[in-house]
Amino acid sequence: MTTEISQADATTFAIVDELKARFGEANLVVQPTLTGMPVVWVAREQLIEVMRFVQQVNKPFVMLYDLHGVDERLRMHRRGLPPADFTVFYQLMSLERNSELMIKVALHEDDLRVPTLCNVYLNANWYEREVFDMFGIDFAGHPHLSRMLMPPTWHGHPLRKDYPARATEFDPYTLTMEGQDREQEALRFDPEDWGMKRQSGDTDYMFLNLGPNHPSVHGVFRIALQLDGEEVVDCVPDIGYHHRGAEKMAERQSWHSYIPYTDRIDYTGGVMNNLPYILAVEKLAGISVTSRAETIRVMMAEMFRINSHLLFLGTFLQDLGAMSPVFYTFSDRQRAYHVIEAITGFRMHPAWFRIGGVAHDLPRGWDRLVREFLDWMPPRLDEYERAMMDNSIVRERTVGIATHTTAEALTWGVTGPNLRATGLKYDLRKAKPYSGYERFDFDIPVGTNGDVFDRGMMRIEEMRQSLRIIEQCLKNMPEGDYKADHPLTTPPPRDKMLQHIETLITHFLQVSWGPVLKANESFQMIEATKGLNSYYLTSDGNTMSYRTRIRTPSFAHLQHIPAVINGGFVPDLIAHLGSIDFVMADVDR
Amino acid sequence: MSYKLTRIDPDAPQNSQYPVGERRVVDDPMDDQVHRNVFMGKLENIMHNVVNWGRKNSLWPYNFGLSCCYVEMTTAFTAPHDIARFGSEVLRASPRQADVMVISGTCFVKMAPIIQQLYDQMLEPKWVISMGSCANSGGMYDIYSVVQGVDKFLPIDVYIPGCPPRPEAFLQGLQLLQDSIQQERRPLTWVVGDQGVYKAEMPSQREKRRDERIAVTELRSPDEV
Ligand code: SF4
Repeated sequence: MTTEISQADATTFAIVDELKARFGEANLVVQPTLTGMPVVWVAREQLIEVMRFVQQVNKPFVMLYDLHGVDERLRMHRRGLPPADFTVFYQLMSLERNSELMIKVALHEDDLRVPTLCNVYLNANWYEREVFDMFGIDFAGHPHLSRMLMPPTWHGHPLRKDYPARATEFDPYTLTMEGQDREQEALRFDPEDWGMKRQSGDTDYMFLNLGPNHPSVHGVFRIALQLDGEEVVDCVPDIGYHHRGAEKMAERQSWHSYIPYTDRIDYTGGVMNNLPYILAVEKLAGISVTSRAETIRVMMAEMFRINSHLLFLGTFLQDLGAMSPVFYTFSDRQRAYHVIEAITGFRMHPAWFRIGGVAHDLPRGWDRLVREFLDWMPPRLDEYERAMMDNSIVRERTVGIATHTTAEALTWGVTGPNLRATGLKYDLRKAKPYSGYERFDFDIPVGTNGDVFDRGMMRIEEMRQSLRIIEQCLKNMPEGDYKADHPLTTPPPRDKMLQHIETLITHFLQVSWGPVLKANESFQMIEATKGLNSYYLTSDGNTMSYRTRIRTPSFAHLQHIPAVINGGFVPDLIAHLGSIDFVMADVDR
Repeated sequence: MSYKLTRIDPDAPQNSQYPVGERRVVDDPMDDQVHRNVFMGKLENIMHNVVNWGRKNSLWPYNFGLSCCYVEMTTAFTAPHDIARFGSEVLRASPRQADVMVISGTCFVKMAPIIQQLYDQMLEPKWVISMGSCANSGGMYDIYSVVQGVDKFLPIDVYIPGCPPRPEAFLQGLQLLQDSIQQERRPLTWVVGDQGVYKAEMPSQREKRRDERIAVTELRSPDEV
C-alpha cells in the first residue's frame, strides 16, 4: 500500500524535476502543502514560458482547470514563500499523469499586473476577468478585460481583504426610478464592444438578448446573440446575476458553520456539495473517518446525483418542447426526497455532513426506504429511455446537434458527463477515488458523438450506475461509528461531552468558536453531479478559512457555449443549454 | 378590518424611490358606502366579492425564478403537489400575461433593476409573493452582492419563510394570497369612483398559530424513519 502511494506521488511530483531541469532550481520555489499536488511559485516574467512548457511537455497538462487569486496581505503564516501582496494561481490537469499542478505568481500591490494566458489556454479568458473583477488584478493583453460577476457600475473589488463582506455594512439598498434606468442602460449590449459588425455584405445582423430571465436559461443567465436569420453568428454569454459571494462568505464563517453554504453552490446537488469541502477540511485537520461514515456519505451523494439528473432530464426534455416528462421525473424526485428526508431531515439543502463524519446515524428502517427506491427506479429509467430518447422528435432535435470533440472539451475545461459524452472515459471516482469509491463496483458510461443526445443519454446511464452504488451501500453498510474519534471532529460526539468539565469546555469551544485548523493549504476535487467540483482551502491557523476557492464545473461549461453554438441555429442553442445541465449558483457562486 | 391604500402616481419625479406611489393604512372604504346608501353599498359589496372570487381562483403565475427556491416552487407545479387544484397552473412566460410574480430565491444587486422592470411590465391587478428567506430578508446571505429583502423595492403581499420553503408551504402561501384577494377593494371601473387599490391588512400567521405551536410538546424522534 505504502509503495503504491509513493509511486503515485512520484509521478505526480515528476513535473517538478522537469521544471527544475528546464528553468533552473533557483527560479522556482516549491511550496509544501496538503493539496496532493506540486505547488510551484514562478516569476511573473517566466509565467508564459512555464505554461507553454507544461502544455507541451511529454504527458502534457492539457487542461487549465482553475485560475484565481489570493489577497496575501493579511496572511500570517507564509514562511518560505516569496513575498507577495497578491497571488494568482493557475491549476493545470494532466489526464495521462492523472495529476494536477499548481503554478503561483507573486504580485506586489503597486504593480498588479500579469500577462494574460488566453493565448496559451483559451479558457483563461473568463477566469482572468473574474480575478480582475474580484481583486483588481490587470491581465496585460487580455482581449476583453471587464467585470464579470459584479454589475458594470460597481466600485471596488470584493475579494480584497479590505473590502467589507456584509451588505449590512453598507447603506441599505434603495432603487430609484433614475437608478433603475441607469443600471439597465449599463447592461445594454453593445456589439462594437465585442468586435461584432452590425452588417456584412447585404445582411443586417439582428442582436437578440436572451435572458437574464428566460424560461430556457434555467435561472438568471443572459446571452446576447448575433443572428443572421435563424443562424447564430456569434454570441456572448453574460453571467453574474447570481453571485452570492460564497467565497467571501467562507472568510467569515467558522470551518463548521460554512457547511450550509456549500449546499447552495450546486443547489440541485444537496450534500454532494458538502463532500469536497469536508474532505478538504479533514485533510487540514488530519482526520480519517470511519468506513461507515464514508459509505453513508457515498450513499447520500449518489442519491443526490440521481435527484439532480432527474431534474435535468425533466427540464431538458421540456426545453425541447416535451411537456409531460417533467411531471414523471418530479414524481420520482418526490420518492427520492422521501428517502433523503427520512435520513437527513431535510429536502434540498440538508447540510448533513460534518467534519469527521455525518450529522447523525442512519435511522432505524432506512434500509426499507432505500430498498423501495431501488426497486422503483429501474423500470422508470427504462421507460424514459424508451419513451423519450427513442422518440423521433427528440432525436431529430438532438442527434448531431451542438457536438464537440474530446480535445475541444479539454481545451475549454469541460468535465463530468459533458466530457464523457465525447467518448473519454474519465471519471474521478475511478481515476482518483475519494471517500471509499474504490470499494464500489460500477461502470463509467461514455457517449460517442458528444452531441446533445449523448449528453442526455449519459445522465440516464449514470443514474443506473448510481443505483448500483446505492445497492452496494445497502448490502454492505459497515458497522461502527458515524463520526471519527478525533479532537477536531465537529461537533464532538455527545456522549464524550458529558463526562467531566474538561470535555464540556472543549465541546463548548468547538461548537461556539469552531475548530482551529493548522496553517496549511488543502484541496479536494470530486466528481459532482455536473462535473469536477473542488475546494481549495487556505488556512492561516484560525477558526475560519483565509481563502476558499470553489471551482465549479458549470462556469467552464458556460464559457464553452460560443465555441459550440456559433454557426448553429437558435433552437439548437436552446437544446444545447438544456443539455449542459447547469444551475447559475454553480456558475456565479 | 383595516386596509392599505395604494395610489399610483403617474407623474412621480424621476428620483422617487421604489415602490413608487402613495401608501397608507385606512379603514374599510365600503363602510362609508354602506352608510351613504345601503342599497348601492350592498350591491357594490356583492360586486367586489364576485370579482375577487374570480380573480383569486385564476391566478396566473409568472414563470420566473432566481435560485434554489425556484426548484421547490417548480415542484409545487408538478404532479405530486398539483397547483392546478388552486387554479394557478397557467404558467406564463411573459410578465404581461401574468397576475402573480413569485420572487423565489436570492435577490441580487445586479438583478434588482431587472426584477423591477419585470414587475413594471405586469398589468394590474398584480401581486407579489416573496418565497424563501433570501427574498424575505436576504436570509443567510448578508453579503455585498445581495439585496437584504426584496421588499426594499417591491410591495410584497405574502412572505413564505423557509430555506427553501417546502412546496406545501408555497401552496399555503398561495392560499393566503387568495384569502387576501377576497378582501380587496379595487376600482370596479376606471370611469367612476375612487381609483385607489385597497388591500386588507391580513393577520400574521405567526401570531395566529402561536398557541398551536406551543401546544406541541412531543417531537418525532429522528432515530426512526
Ligand atoms: S432562501 Fe435558501 S433555498 Fe431559497 S434561494 Fe435563499 S438560500 Fe436558496
